[in-house]
Amino acid sequence: MLQFSKFVFVRASLAILTLVLVSFIVFSLMELVPGDCAERYLAFKNSQGSIISLADIEAERVRLGLDQPYLKRWGLWIVNAFQGEFGDSCIQRLNISQLLGQKFWLSLGICLSSLVLAYAIAIPVGIISATSNNAVLNNSLRLVSYMGLALPNFLLALMIMLFSTVMFGNSLTGLFSKEFRDAAWSYDRVIDFLGHAWLPIFILGWSATAFAIQTVRALMSDEIGKLYVTAASARGVSGRRLLMRYPARHALSPIINSLGFDLNRIFNELPVVALILTLTEAGSLLIEALARSNDQQLAGAIIFMLTGSIVAINFITDIILALTDPRVRRSIVG
Amino acid sequence: MTDKSNMQSLEDQKLKEAYFTASQGQLIWQRFKKNKSALIGAWTLIILILSGIFAPFLTPYDATIAGRDKDYLNGAPQIPRFCDDSGCSARPFIYTFERTRSIKTNFRWVTEVKTGLEDRRYVTFFSKGMEYKFADMTFERHLFGVDKGMIHIFGTDSTGKDIYSRTLSAINTSMAVGTIGVFIAFVMALIIGGIAGYYGGWIDSILQMITDTVRTIPSIPLFMALAAFIPDVWSAEMRFFFISMVLGFIGWPTLARRIRTHLLTERNQEYVLAAQLCGASPKHVIRRHLLPSFTSYIIVDLVISFPYMVLSETALSFIGLGLKDPVNSLGVMLQNVTSADVLLNYQWYFIPVIFFIVLVLAFVFVGDGLRDAADPYSDSKK
Repeated sequence: MLQFSKFVFVRASLAILTLVLVSFIVFSLMELVPGDCAERYLAFKNSQGSIISLADIEAERVRLGLDQPYLKRWGLWIVNAFQGEFGDSCIQRLNISQLLGQKFWLSLGICLSSLVLAYAIAIPVGIISATSNNAVLNNSLRLVSYMGLALPNFLLALMIMLFSTVMFGNSLTGLFSKEFRDAAWSYDRVIDFLGHAWLPIFILGWSATAFAIQTVRALMSDEIGKLYVTAASARGVSGRRLLMRYPARHALSPIINSLGFDLNRIFNELPVVALILTLTEAGSLLIEALARSNDQQLAGAIIFMLTGSIVAINFITDIILALTDPRVRRSIVG
Repeated sequence: MTDKSNMQSLEDQKLKEAYFTASQGQLIWQRFKKNKSALIGAWTLIILILSGIFAPFLTPYDATIAGRDKDYLNGAPQIPRFCDDSGCSARPFIYTFERTRSIKTNFRWVTEVKTGLEDRRYVTFFSKGMEYKFADMTFERHLFGVDKGMIHIFGTDSTGKDIYSRTLSAINTSMAVGTIGVFIAFVMALIIGGIAGYYGGWIDSILQMITDTVRTIPSIPLFMALAAFIPDVWSAEMRFFFISMVLGFIGWPTLARRIRTHLLTERNQEYVLAAQLCGASPKHVIRRHLLPSFTSYIIVDLVISFPYMVLSETALSFIGLGLKDPVNSLGVMLQNVTSADVLLNYQWYFIPVIFFIVLVLAFVFVGDGLRDAADPYSDSKK
């Protein structure tokens, strides 16, 4: 038990160290971007009609603390970031955690759901295709997983929209119906949300599923040929029992291990899909923040939070692996 | 023993000799040839790349605004035909389209097809058209054209640009972005992975930590953050180079990790030790033994990572953060297709998507085929 908590502690501090490194990279990139928050804000005010002098910009810089040295500002940023506090947005002058709050959790929920969907499909299908000798089945699965790569999510989304516009006259966009957009959470709103959310979940899960099927298949066919499986079948274990108890258990560990990177891939696709399906509640805030308004404060916060959730998943999967896989457990406890 | 069996064993001997003395490249090529889907992919890829390179000749019009057809905006594809009601012709032809606006059409522009015999536009081959530059020489011959007016076999977009001409030039752009991106990623991966793998120890640990951290940051959101700050005053060409560079800078970690792992395992192999014991200098060991041991893997990795670069570029251009007109790429062409108007009325905007999917698929097949071929144990696995 002591060793296990030590393991958890080491993993947790590694995760935090990674986050600190991430924050440094993100913060530096945001710094490298030409122009700073003060200039952006005052440029915005200028476009509203007020006349801005150089002295005003300097005063604004002092007010925002931008005259402080670089490392000091980074330190302050990271300390606040770990408390979930990212300061004010550059352009909108609103507190970032308020601005993101629910939207971020909604996006994360959608991404996690598509990850779950991907593996819910990929594990049974992958196992079946690894064990069966049916050439037609195997080839069609291969084609599907190739399509998962070649038909990127945003094209798939476009195709589905094209199809549904032509067929039903409804382009299936948005996350909520009009009447629920700003309403408080209620039973009806949840139902409405689920009625809309399946499409982004499916589209985001599409290429993740294709990748997952390939992984599961490759792992399973590697494991099935091993001697311990032959030994088990010689002992009289057969059928599904054999698969589940022996090779599937072995193949599971690398899959759990790679969950973090699968989430990373889904995050990569989220903003584009969100833009097409006009999910204003979720990922397209990212695009708005990044593209339309050049809001480096908000952009930094979003990237940091996305990476933070990947690091958190990696940490959790490490712990789960240590709990479920006796080989990993042995290596920790010694 | 008869003469015949003697001959056969001699032939066997020769085959075996050829097999054991074959270079790595020859072995890979032998295995690659056996893989049907990879071979088809390779041919498709070659055809697509060539049609990208020779796009100015293969397409009738300039892909930029200079080649627009102002009389045929948002026009449907014109498919050449041989026969119609007024008789057949040995030469394929298309009809003349005329845009009219009057009280009859409620003052909206309406395209009218004239199917009369005198309104036929005959397709001509190797016809003279717009001038273009190729390899510093000026040409004006195009593969095909029509005798009057213009021909648009894939239709036109909202500004009247020929979609067929744009598609072929978009292949060029995608390939260029991919090449620059892969090259930068490759150089960075070689340096960082090489240092980590060759020195090992604490240098390796630190570099691994950094590599893993960069790998956890979702690259597209990060890229969007960077691309959003490209000043508007930059020219399209500068944007193009900047974007390919950033794609490369984001894509290196996976490759670096593989190079490092490979170096770490290879440098402890017996043949390296043997070379060292024979008195070979580190330079000799790296050049003659380590590098050849993994060039094939690296080539495979490069081919596999190529479509990812192309896909990223498309996604970025699509949301308006990547390339911009007049540089053509698939993402740029798809920028405006999300509106219901396009979805309902102008479905030919999606024709380039087919080319694009074929391009990515071809890369994936070739990459997979090369990977299997470069794996010396792939025969024994089956």
